Amino acid sequence: MPPISLTEVFDRFADGVYTLAVRLLRDHHLAEDVVADTFLAILRGRAPYRGDGSLAGWVYRIGYRRAIALLRRRRELPTADAELLPLADRPAEAVHAEVIRPELADRLDAAIGELPPTLRAAFVLRDVNELSTAEVSAALGIGESAVKMRLARARARLRVSLKEYLRESHL
Amino acid sequence: MNLTCDQLEAVLPELLDGSPDGATQARAAEHLATCDRCRLTVEETGEVRSLGRAHGRLRLPDEARRRILDALESETGGGG
Repeated sequence: MPPISLTEVFDRFADGVYTLAVRLLRDHHLAEDVVADTFLAILRGRAPYRGDGSLAGWVYRIGYRRAIALLRRRRELPTADAELLPLADRPAEAVHAEVIRPELADRLDAAIGELPPTLRAAFVLRDVNELSTAEVSAALGIGESAVKMRLARARARLRVSLKEYLRESHL
Repeated sequence: MNLTCDQLEAVLPELLDGSPDGATQARAAEHLATCDRCRLTVEETGEVRSLGRAHGRLRLPDEARRRILDALESETGGGG
């Protein structure tokens, strides 16, 4: 693999790691911390890239593990749920927000948030961030068949949650 | 041989992600030609995926981007 600078890695993956972290944690400030921690860990060589696998899978693996650690820690706090930011109030912009109606965007946010975290991560990495199945497998640390199973379940649940909107989304 | 509805659902990820083998694709097409319910499932699941791609991705706010890049630069002494 040709040398790649940290800035290039950041430019390529920062939005994607942020997206994964927001979708998992539903908290923009924590998600920003996940992005910072991910790239500082890369800089400090805590999880060195050996060049024998997908760069995307490696970067997302670091971010995913950090986000899951924060998710687990927050679940141990009894008042955590009441403190979550509604995702509709997010300061961040959706990259392609203009292509769908705001109410559909809000409903999609809610529907993704209703998925269990394991299914949510598979959907976000594969269908939102558009990683390959092999890259998602590397990021989540599970086999490709498990990725496909989680993705199928996530899509099926979202299909039910969004049913009334699907025929009129006009994508 | 034509697929059953359960078998169609099992190969749905391959159908949507464009990587089924030719025989699977042909059998799925045969099934979909005669099964309205599965055709709707395929269409709606494809729409879910399209919605995720079209809307689900978020942009790291500029202020956070600057702050994180500054932190990275301070650790490297200004290098990249």
